[in-house]
Amino acid sequence: MNVEEQIREIVARITHVDKSIITRESTFKEIKADSLDIVQALVAVEETFGIEIPDEDAQKFRNFGDFVSYVENRVAQKETV
Amino acid sequence: MSLEGKLALVTGGGRGIGRAIALKLASQGADIIINFFRRRDTAEQTAKEIEALGVKADVIRANVGDATKIDEMFDAIASKYGRLDILVNNAASGVGRSVMDIDVKAWEWTMDINVRAALLCAQRAAKLMEGRGGKIVSLSSLGSFLVWPTYAVVGVSKAALEALTRYLAIELAPKGICVNAVAASFVETEALKFYFDEAFKKHGMPATPAGRMVMPEDVANVVAFLCSEEAFMIRGQTIIIDGGLSLYSPLFAKEKD
Repeated sequence: MNVEEQIREIVARITHVDKSIITRESTFKEIKADSLDIVQALVAVEETFGIEIPDEDAQKFRNFGDFVSYVENRVAQKETV
Repeated sequence: MSLEGKLALVTGGGRGIGRAIALKLASQGADIIINFFRRRDTAEQTAKEIEALGVKADVIRANVGDATKIDEMFDAIASKYGRLDILVNNAASGVGRSVMDIDVKAWEWTMDINVRAALLCAQRAAKLMEGRGGKIVSLSSLGSFLVWPTYAVVGVSKAALEALTRYLAIELAPKGICVNAVAASFVETEALKFYFDEAFKKHGMPATPAGRMVMPEDVANVVAFLCSEEAFMIRGQTIIIDGGLSLYSPLFAKEKD
């Protein structure tokens, strides 16, 4: 499973929405994710990929795609280190 | 009051009230371990300020809402230091909702961080205080017995925290561990903005006889006192820091007119 699919599963599990409705363009509002869901998703993603996502970075995510791209970059950086 | 040579863990010690507590304990000579979760930048900044006071500072990241992470944090402290003298249960979170809107997720999130973490941290800390005594102080809130809008789940968690404080105080007394809590009213921090900044300034300020907001340093001063030997005979209490807000009657407002 690639990074995007793993994050989609995590977000769908936390927000109780069907993962098929989560696209890269979906906003957190459209996924019905409240602030608590978002924090929980961040924590779960951090643990899954062994990265730390500072709040100031997370606040810039406009949609699911931003979240995925950010994590993909961080994972790639980690692999090159 | 001197805390020279003491080692203190302050959960959520990177910012707000926790930061003020960490700095106050450090100013009295204690070495500080700052636990943080979401904001590494502020935790590291606070650690630098602590080191500038001439004591040691350490930062440990852990989500205290997760029991496994608490264990990992204390495993790290045990292997690095092998002891602990002071635990300040300051980390807190919450979901601003009225009672009818609280769901299981919001309840568990708040309870796990505000109450369960205090229990699990106290259990692990008590083992590191074995044979040397120690102090445990938890941060409650006036919302544990006053009713504030959208504060229900946090208020309930703080009431439980105060009850936990009493049980810990008695059961840990034979080990030479003093356990107490502090309960502040609205404290001027970033977190306040999530709740009732404007509402407080409009209605809460006139109802505070002391005439100003409670500052993080006001809370830190009391916590530092409870961590001192001078407070040895205070056990299981929750000290209120509210500038008189909880005693104030609106009837006094008429007198002022």
